[in-house]
Amino acid sequence: MYDVWKNALAEIEQQISSANYSTWFQDTSLISTKDGNVRVNVKNTFYIKQLQNRYYDIIKKALENNNIQVNSLTFEVQATTKHRVRPREIIRNSTSISNHLDDIRSNLKPRNISNSQPTSDTGLNPKYTLDTFIVGSNNDLAFSAAKSIIDSPGTRYNPFFLYGGPGLGKTHLVQAIGNELIKRNPNYRIFYTPISHFYSDFIDSIQNGKGKEFNRKFQKLDCLIIDDFQLIVNKEKSQEEFFNIFNDLYQLNKQIIVTSDRLPNQIKTVDERLASRLTWAGAFDLQLPKFEDKCAILRAKAEQIGADIEPEAIEYIAENVNTNIRDLEGEFSTILLMSEVRGLTPLELIQNGSVNVNRTSKLRPISPKQIIDKVAKYYNLSTTELKSKSRVANIMLARQVAMYLLSKELNLSTNKVALEVNVKDHTTVMHGIKKIDNNLKLNFNLRDQIEDIKEHLYG
Amino acid sequence: MKIKVTQEKLSKALNTISRIAIGKATLPILNNVLIRVSDKKVSLITTNLDMAVLDYLPVSESEDGVITVPAKLLAEFVSNLPKGDNVEISSKDTKVTIKSGKYSSVINGTIADDFPEIPEINEEKSVVYKIGVDEFKNSVNQVIIASSNDLTRPALTGVFFNTYDHTLAIAATDGYRLAEKKIIDKVESEVKAIVPSSSLQEVLRSISDDVDEIEISFNDDLVRFRFGDIEIVSKLIDESFPEYQKLIPKNNNISVTLNREELIRVTKLAALFARSVGGSIVCEAITPDIFSVKSIANEFGENDSRIETTVEQSGKINLNSRFLLDALNALEEPEIKFEFSDRVAPVVLTNQKSDKYTHIVMPLNS
Repeated sequence: MYDVWKNALAEIEQQISSANYSTWFQDTSLISTKDGNVRVNVKNTFYIKQLQNRYYDIIKKALENNNIQVNSLTFEVQATTKHRVRPREIIRNSTSISNHLDDIRSNLKPRNISNSQPTSDTGLNPKYTLDTFIVGSNNDLAFSAAKSIIDSPGTRYNPFFLYGGPGLGKTHLVQAIGNELIKRNPNYRIFYTPISHFYSDFIDSIQNGKGKEFNRKFQKLDCLIIDDFQLIVNKEKSQEEFFNIFNDLYQLNKQIIVTSDRLPNQIKTVDERLASRLTWAGAFDLQLPKFEDKCAILRAKAEQIGADIEPEAIEYIAENVNTNIRDLEGEFSTILLMSEVRGLTPLELIQNGSVNVNRTSKLRPISPKQIIDKVAKYYNLSTTELKSKSRVANIMLARQVAMYLLSKELNLSTNKVALEVNVKDHTTVMHGIKKIDNNLKLNFNLRDQIEDIKEHLYG
Repeated sequence: MKIKVTQEKLSKALNTISRIAIGKATLPILNNVLIRVSDKKVSLITTNLDMAVLDYLPVSESEDGVITVPAKLLAEFVSNLPKGDNVEISSKDTKVTIKSGKYSSVINGTIADDFPEIPEINEEKSVVYKIGVDEFKNSVNQVIIASSNDLTRPALTGVFFNTYDHTLAIAATDGYRLAEKKIIDKVESEVKAIVPSSSLQEVLRSISDDVDEIEISFNDDLVRFRFGDIEIVSKLIDESFPEYQKLIPKNNNISVTLNREELIRVTKLAALFARSVGGSIVCEAITPDIFSVKSIANEFGENDSRIETTVEQSGKINLNSRFLLDALNALEEPEIKFEFSDRVAPVVLTNQKSDKYTHIVMPLNS
């Protein structure tokens, strides 16, 4: 059909002036010739009358010369460009971008949920479910423990202590446990509260002379979930109250769930007795998701909101966001929003450089000296001691940690590292790094130390 | 063909209509103005095939006929004639004679057969709105700043006229900001049409001070603006406009009321330092009573200005200073509302009292 029109145009061009031809016939096309009803697409309304009144016969003849039967000839205006359907379809199919932004936003700020929208007196937000929790190698242990708690609360994993950095899904997982428990047994008495609210409620109750009632309220519970335990304050009275409630519930085999961003013995304000009790049944950590897990999370998110996003775009985001899941979902929704507003697909946005996703925890560039200083300080040594030839155990450990960090964080060559920490040659460095690497797999204590040092470095 | 008319009236009409005929059109006749006299009605018409401008010229004497004359030449000749005199234009074949007192000239015209026919609004099927000229001009100016000139996205190169909840609103967006103005309440007919920004600009330029009301009629693929003696007919952009209402955030948890002049001043100050970073400035609400506008240019230094106001919740947002200034200049009241929720969602700017105008600006990546 296209060729027919091209031939017809060539014929028309012969018959009229080139100015007229380029004005009236450029950007025309043939829509259909069905049953001799020929329809021609023109640029806009201004062209219709002119073609109809002045060029009708010429066009008709040109088409007939190309063996097209012309019973009627009409001119129509169709969309000037092909619609870029994809990014807009996202919006039409799902409810709306601002709605799902709201969704994401409330997911992002779980801490506000218990006071902003207490769905019931449990303090739980029904939005958090196990189905939406993406399981990967970074969190599968914690997840299976959670499932076991749902099957038999108050037994094996009691207390359930969950820890990990911000935005990795602690609140999601523990609220999902709560919601699932209630689903299975609606009479189950459950209470979720961030530790800070626990305090303010406790202080209020004392001020109103209702301290005993407060205590009784908690003792009636079947399951207590405490979020953000690291914010526990160093107030003896409140901590003792918490300790008592903890003990009472524990004696009665009631499930206790606690989340925190680090282990209890690393929280300075926590009383030792309490710290050790919290990890009686072990501590489960949520780690940064691996690349594949991040892709899985984004794919699930895309499916959930009905967005159509290219696999390459998902991989790009997954690769470039290395902080936490909250940021990952944040970047994802930003890109979807931009994609709607600018009318480009997410991948096009990324390719033309409109989005700059690069979130790593390594915000500031650091120098070898900073690493050595921080490591020395962490182990209570002077830098001279660290760089000395001493073979005292703790100095050696510090030196090896420094070598490890210099190599892993700054990608220094082993020769360079040898110079920095003043050891004999690169084989010593290689040995040191290997030793730390091996120890890391077994020694949780060492792993925490190194995480701690990194936190100091970048924090 | 013959007409007789005062120099002022003719000159004004020719100036208005000749703007779109001074173009780079490949078809020479598009540089001409069509003068048509029939039944003592005189119309001057120009078109660029995206729009057409018609002026119905009241004349004292006339003889029927039709001719086209190079628009720019005629307009310049007439505007240089002495004011207050009568001008007589007559044609014989394609020779057009213009006479005024002692001055006279003959211009070679072209027969009107080749002049494109101007599409007409189908009055019965059209949807018609009427609005005061001042309100119309202000509103279009408030909105058109947000329209795009990116020709690869035609839908955004226009202003979207649409009705919802019995209100006629106009809106434009370039993907980075969006402006909406509700212009007529309680409308009964519905419309959804994108009018090219260039056509609207021509309408704005053509409205003279002595006109009070403008009539806007929409057909399937045409819009006509009628005011005073002038009619402007334009194509519509045959695309779908983004469903923009969904892009306007509804529940912003941070809302501050600010003095508009003061915010303009601090934004300008911050913009000076923001030049080297693409105009990026940081607006921050700090409880209980500070709104701060900051910018940092590594080479030049930095700026931090503060405005006192009531702040209930803290938060900050990165914005392009030029977009913010455009929005602030489009707002009217002395006090305005500045609302946002977090760095992903756009900021919403409105007048404090009237809710007719809404301007949203996307945040920059921090």
